[in-house]
Amino acid sequence: MRRAIAALLVLTIVAAWWLTAPIRLTADALPAHTPDPVAGERAFWAGGCASCHATPVDGRRARGDDKLLLGGGMELPSPYGSFRVPNISPHADGIGGWTTIDFVNAMQRGVAPDGRHYYPSFPYASYARASVEDIMDLKAFIDTLPAVPGRSGAHDLGFPWSVRRGLGLWKRLYLDDRPVAAIKSNDPVVARGRKLVEGLGHCGECHTERDWLGGIVVARWLAGAPNPEGQGRVPNITPASKSVGGWSVEDLAYYFEEGFTPDFDTVGGSMVAVQENLARLDVADRAAIAAYLKAVPAVE
Amino acid sequence: MIEKKTVIAILAGALASVAIAAEDPRDVRHELMEGVGEAAKVIGGMLKGEVEYDAAEAAQSLAVFERASSQLGELFPEGSESGKDTEASPAIWDDRAGFEAALSDWQGAIADARAADLQTLEDAKPALGAVFKTCKNCHDNYRIKDE
Repeated sequence: MRRAIAALLVLTIVAAWWLTAPIRLTADALPAHTPDPVAGERAFWAGGCASCHATPVDGRRARGDDKLLLGGGMELPSPYGSFRVPNISPHADGIGGWTTIDFVNAMQRGVAPDGRHYYPSFPYASYARASVEDIMDLKAFIDTLPAVPGRSGAHDLGFPWSVRRGLGLWKRLYLDDRPVAAIKSNDPVVARGRKLVEGLGHCGECHTERDWLGGIVVARWLAGAPNPEGQGRVPNITPASKSVGGWSVEDLAYYFEEGFTPDFDTVGGSMVAVQENLARLDVADRAAIAAYLKAVPAVE
Repeated sequence: MIEKKTVIAILAGALASVAIAAEDPRDVRHELMEGVGEAAKVIGGMLKGEVEYDAAEAAQSLAVFERASSQLGELFPEGSESGKDTEASPAIWDDRAGFEAALSDWQGAIADARAADLQTLEDAKPALGAVFKTCKNCHDNYRIKDE
């Protein structure tokens, strides 16, 4: 009897270890693609990397060229505790010396080069849906940026969230590189918009409700969510939205480029930094995002 | 002999201006910004290409901006930081010099646009665009928007 219990215990531990193991891609999974740092700059702004990883200046978010100094250091409060944003500059304290496959595994599988899981405050669950080519280009661009020294402190999380290995289970539930929104259209513009919104742009991370484990509720895709930074709500951006549902594709694209609503009010809150990033994309990419937002299912 | 009606009108006018003077600065600045918003819509629609460019209307909007920008600095006294759903950011009081610099940037851009040749959209675009940039810069730092 005692032996049976011991065997069961061992089996449970082995199963838990297996279920929580990091799953990585190997270098031979990479497509034959020569990374292009110019395309990578567009991926950089689409991905909003600087919004979290640029080192704050005098306690405020970085602006202008300071957005290219990716030393980290910002603190992200959350219901699970406080996340400290790491250095991703090409310095040894950041991602200096990483291989392309290291970078792809971080961005799309949430696994560090040493095999540890990253917390999904780093939106790899969205980046998993970007194209691998875009991710390879992005690394080529970040490698051209200044190397900034300095390491951020460890995250300050409550139990059980502090058990990093447990994230393997979270990934089994929520890490999925298949498309999210059910859209019938074959329009290549909408398809490009999907890659940008569901992938690099990680729009759903703020504009979609989460369940108690912090996973995106797919049925509520882009239908708005409580504001993680406190008061108010992050708005619904589906065609059913009371605020932006009536905006035309042109209105949306103009808002992304210039930061003005159709009433010529200015963009507000956390969206200010996002809009500044979107303003640096190609005209075609902004139009593609707008077309996708018009094509997603309307959710009240 | 002054008509009774005229007397009443003058009195009413005098009373109204007293009422405005005693009004809460949060209400006054809200009204003022609503007016600025309406004026911005006119220029914005033309910049965006939704409505045909009209130099006279653009100038009229700039006049609204000018009036508002000259009054706005006085309308954020101590004690008006909160309440009445104000969207004013605490940064206005924490960093008054920065706020005043942003306000003066707006005034400067308006003055430049008033002095510029506004006859065609091509000519007017840079100056009007510069005014809109100052709107955005000030809002980014000194206004809180809920959504």
